[in-house]
Amino acid sequence: MDIRAQISMVFHLDKCIGCHTCSVACKNIWTDRKGAEYQWWNNVETKPGTGYPGRWEDQEIYKGGWQRDTNGGIQLKGAGKKKGLINIFHNPNFPTVEDYYEPFTYDYLNLVEAPAGDDQPTARPVSLITGEPIDVKMGPNWDDDLGGTPDYARNDPNLEKLSPAEREAMFQLERMAFFYLPRICNHCLNPGCVASCPSGAIYKRGEDGIVLINQKVCRAWRMCVTACPYKKAYYNWYTGKSEKCILCYPRLEAGLAPACMHSCVGRIRYIGVLLYDAERIQAAASAADADLVARHLDMLVDPFDEEVIAAAQKNGVPDSTIKAAQDSPTYRFVKEWRLALPLHPEFRTLPMLFYVPPLLPVVASVREVADEQKKKSLNEISKVWPDNWLYDTSTEELWGTVEQVRFPLQYLASLFSAGDTGAVAARLKKLMAVRIFRRFKTVGDVSEEIMTKVLADTGLTQETAEAIFRLTALAKFNERFVIPPAHREQALEMLEFTGDARGSTGFGFRERPARGL
Amino acid sequence: MSRLLLARLTVPALAALFAVWSPPVAPAGAATGAETFGSVCAACHTIGGGKRVGPDLAGVNDRRPAEWLLKFIRSSQALVESGDPVAVALFAEHKVAMPDFPYSDSEIREILEFVKRGGAGGAAQPPAAAALRTTTPEDVRKGLELFQGTLRFANRGPACNSCHHVNNDAVIGGGILAKELTTVFGQMGGPGVQAILGKPPFPVMDQAFASRPLTEDEIFALVAFLQDADQHQQFQKPRDYGFKLFTSGLAGLVFLLALYGLFWRRRKVHPVNHAIFARQVRTQ
Repeated sequence: MDIRAQISMVFHLDKCIGCHTCSVACKNIWTDRKGAEYQWWNNVETKPGTGYPGRWEDQEIYKGGWQRDTNGGIQLKGAGKKKGLINIFHNPNFPTVEDYYEPFTYDYLNLVEAPAGDDQPTARPVSLITGEPIDVKMGPNWDDDLGGTPDYARNDPNLEKLSPAEREAMFQLERMAFFYLPRICNHCLNPGCVASCPSGAIYKRGEDGIVLINQKVCRAWRMCVTACPYKKAYYNWYTGKSEKCILCYPRLEAGLAPACMHSCVGRIRYIGVLLYDAERIQAAASAADADLVARHLDMLVDPFDEEVIAAAQKNGVPDSTIKAAQDSPTYRFVKEWRLALPLHPEFRTLPMLFYVPPLLPVVASVREVADEQKKKSLNEISKVWPDNWLYDTSTEELWGTVEQVRFPLQYLASLFSAGDTGAVAARLKKLMAVRIFRRFKTVGDVSEEIMTKVLADTGLTQETAEAIFRLTALAKFNERFVIPPAHREQALEMLEFTGDARGSTGFGFRERPARGL
Repeated sequence: MSRLLLARLTVPALAALFAVWSPPVAPAGAATGAETFGSVCAACHTIGGGKRVGPDLAGVNDRRPAEWLLKFIRSSQALVESGDPVAVALFAEHKVAMPDFPYSDSEIREILEFVKRGGAGGAAQPPAAAALRTTTPEDVRKGLELFQGTLRFANRGPACNSCHHVNNDAVIGGGILAKELTTVFGQMGGPGVQAILGKPPFPVMDQAFASRPLTEDEIFALVAFLQDADQHQQFQKPRDYGFKLFTSGLAGLVFLLALYGLFWRRRKVHPVNHAIFARQVRTQ
């Protein structure tokens, strides 16, 4: 057993309102620089949609992530020693800037400085790369809220596994639905970017597993950009170095949540420590598609287990980190309650960002009811619909409809479980069970019998359902963000002897006083 | 002005120009005439030992007036250019321009005094010239390697082919900064070449090897190689590819481009939304 600690994230997609506050918070802190304008370390996509960069999930285009080889091991799809060397001066699968978008601003100054004329002055869009006026063709959330559906949503790579009929059904006006998928670097356990880097500039921090690019070692080979299947490594054309999400490690080390999580309006984001057994990484990454999720979760170990704690301590994991792992909201969601799933586990990078799949929009059933008597009893000025269809959102009906949710299970499975619809259905049912349980408690229109049945069906107890509800809906900062102390004081002591300054002059001097010391 | 122009055009003249800025020897203030002769002049001249690179200087004080000697030692080429018949004749006979030596009058007189004494009281002969072993193919091969820089000099001096070329099958593309050395052995003889290598009288070469001199073994090997190159120059036919080199390079380029085209035929050329962008209306 080789127990290590990893900071992991859970995004609760049912709660995401697609406001992009996270993206803007991240942009303002980290990527508001020349050469980084096009980079969105955090972005929010509408699903179905092609995302940012366009069709990033289609690894036939970008050749990212890992694939199984004939020996049962795994190889990088488009990089690695041999392929990397052959393509080192020309990466054939590299995304162009148009795949992201050409960053632009507007010529606002023209609005106040334009000379008097017959027309209103306008602020033309200007490229942030060339400085020339451009036609804006694309943006980081160009297909937001199903904008341009025929071009974007219908080209979602996850639709490929659906039958044409299912696909059509998804885009019928009355059934049409979408949800948001916020994405940051997954800080994977088997990161493709790290494996692909010819300079060895990318590394995974030992203490918390954050994946970072050493800007002094990066030699701009840009293999990481293609090797990351999530397209979360970006090339800065101005500095000539690659960059990626750093999980706001300076904030984490100060005990603060990353900016995207801190600013999240929907409070969808959770961060916490997961303990994992590093010896199982290889087995998990090279598992058959059907076992990927199960092996991935197997790797995460119980932080209350005495053996695990002893092994972690032996590996130098501080007690404070083990305590954080025990309090971790991500451990609850991912392992204990089994509500969250990794995004595209078939890329085999073992992402450590998990998503609670979306149950929303609320699934309702439409049925014919005999309500003639009721209509007649209404006041004559009442609005009465000529048909007798009922749009029924009562939960008793819903239980049977989980398999027929607005998004075909196959679609969600393609996103979150490498095609395993069972894994997605189990999680959706749990979410529904908690909803029914709460409806029983607060609205009271569900019978106890039904509530008990659905909880039993999903293996939840009333206490667990209550705990899920609390962490989902009521949790405060300290429950959502359980950040282990970084022990910077110890790190400092490793670098310098803190006794050196003892007994020296007060605050110290930047310049020595003229009269001497 | 004409000298400046000439200096830009010819490398030896450039070297002479260098000499003005960086004297090839330490300021001779402290050195006696005997020392200066031993360390500088003796590379090319003897006193009663016969002609080497330059003429035998025995009796030179009687042959030429002192004023003429002073001018010639300061700048032989200036004298040649001025049309002095003796200087022109000497240059025609020996074919090697004597470098400029920025010594003061008294220093030059001391050297001439030493020459008048017939070399008494100083080492008039470069010591290495005394004993020359017979050369073996091993020496020639070592010399070739040293010349090309495949074998480094013990004191890390620059390889000969940085500046020099020798017409030899084994040597590809030597330098063109300094003299071509195919027949240098025939012109100067073993002791001359050896003396130049031991203490280069040429300012640039002297600077290059001032702090990293060649060892005696290395000098011997180089002389052996140059001798071999001189003797066998008739048989050396380094291939001249001429226009064929250019055409074969062009063919190679076409071949490589075709190979790359094949190799990267599936590379991503367009953005994924190329079709969408292509049909969009553009601002005029």
